[in-house]
Amino acid sequence: MKRRLFVASSIAAALGACAPIGTKLNDSSFHELLRGAESLNYPLIGTHGLAREYREQDVDRDFRVNGLPAPQSSQYERFVRDGFASYRLRVDGAVQRRMTLSLAQLQRMPQTTQITRHDCVEGWSAIGSWTGVRLSDVLDLAQPRDDARFVVFHCMDVDDGGTQYYESLDIRQARHPQTLLSLRLNDRAIDPDHGAPVRLRVPTQLGYKSAKWVARLEIVGSFATLFGGHGGYWEDQGYEWYAGI
Amino acid sequence: MTVRAIHRYALATRIAHWLWVVAFAVLVSSGLQIFNAAPYLDASDKSDPAHRVFAIGSPRDGVGETMLFGRTFTTTGALGWTDDGAGGAGARAFPGWLTIPSYQDLADGRRWHLFFAWIAAVCWLTWLVSSAIKGSLQKLVLRPSDLPKLWPMQAYYFHMRKEAPPHGVYNPLQKAAYTLLMFVLAPLVVLTGIALAPGVDAAFPWLTVLFGGRQFARLWHFAAMLALLAFFAGHVLLVLTQGFVNQMNAMITGWYRLGEHEGDGA
Repeated sequence: MKRRLFVASSIAAALGACAPIGTKLNDSSFHELLRGAESLNYPLIGTHGLAREYREQDVDRDFRVNGLPAPQSSQYERFVRDGFASYRLRVDGAVQRRMTLSLAQLQRMPQTTQITRHDCVEGWSAIGSWTGVRLSDVLDLAQPRDDARFVVFHCMDVDDGGTQYYESLDIRQARHPQTLLSLRLNDRAIDPDHGAPVRLRVPTQLGYKSAKWVARLEIVGSFATLFGGHGGYWEDQGYEWYAGI
Repeated sequence: MTVRAIHRYALATRIAHWLWVVAFAVLVSSGLQIFNAAPYLDASDKSDPAHRVFAIGSPRDGVGETMLFGRTFTTTGALGWTDDGAGGAGARAFPGWLTIPSYQDLADGRRWHLFFAWIAAVCWLTWLVSSAIKGSLQKLVLRPSDLPKLWPMQAYYFHMRKEAPPHGVYNPLQKAAYTLLMFVLAPLVVLTGIALAPGVDAAFPWLTVLFGGRQFARLWHFAAMLALLAFFAGHVLLVLTQGFVNQMNAMITGWYRLGEHEGDGA
């Protein structure tokens, strides 16, 4: 009887000790175990269906600005001054045809408009009207090679510590019909705070995937050797690569 | 007097029970960490201050405020301006001692939350399948024939009646409580949680719509957590008052001694 009571009180004590575990087990193998949930979530949820599309009157006219500030570089200042006439989107890596596309060339490609909800990892949501080129169309031009598995988006914004923003999608996510290289937000050319001139738009995943100020698409077989190796700026800081949940 | 003992809880049930205790503690505290990143709840699809029903904030240094259904309360020290989990105080919705990790870290909170959500869900499924196969599920689920016995059982608890109405392993009130917990609250908290995922919303759009949109689902998810906490509080109170040692032994060894506490709540 006493032994059983001891077992019961040990369990209670163990539970009481739960809260500080979060602090103590950082960067341990236990943390790697926690990350394991992500490998279950992607196969289970995957990239199916279409994000809900809304009506014109649902749009947030004053779309929330979040994340890193607009690039401060002299090159970006020059882009803003010349209305992005000198901007070029580079497409390279594991493709048959490397290329550079000007903003005018992107504007001449078939344009798609979607009114979709942007779901931030912090928990809030906002609705915007996005117009631009399907990423799939750009990939068709560049023709990824057989060993291509991911598209890495190199961005122009840099944080206080000098780390550059980047993101990545696998080919399936990149070819999703709602994955856009958006040029317009709410019927106007995207302004610098919202990612001018080209912002990735991925409505089937959380907001940090929708990278602003995209300058280069690098098609790769693996992102393990790029930057922190986790496939994105926030991913390198512990967020999930699969941002569908 | 001989004390008769019955084998009340199968091994799977006992393991699931204690894993749930751990998972629930982690899910609530990591959930509050996640909530802290956007400390408000809106009864709408997209975020909309016009439909805000709950918010925690800090209007200025040293002051914490909580808004509930349009009424604002000063909650300095408890909510809004709290222990920041790093030895100081700051603008933070739920205090560090209530969150995992204690300091502000959304990425880590999400890792804990999504991992233990799997633990809780797999436990629930294992318990459901094993109880259904063993036939113990039918002793627990509330049936229409139990409904007329609900009040007599409550009257017995209130000492308004000498004898408990005849019942099986679980009395009608226990059946009602566990049916509500396992077949209403548990599925609700899981479904409202996954309704927040944009990938799930794209694959099963009806789910998010069912809860009134993404922010509304976030509100229901929080409400389901409060309902589970209320259940947990009542459950612990009953265990403490209805023969604590016998109850704890039963959930550890499976054997429950009859005759000591006829009501045997919890």
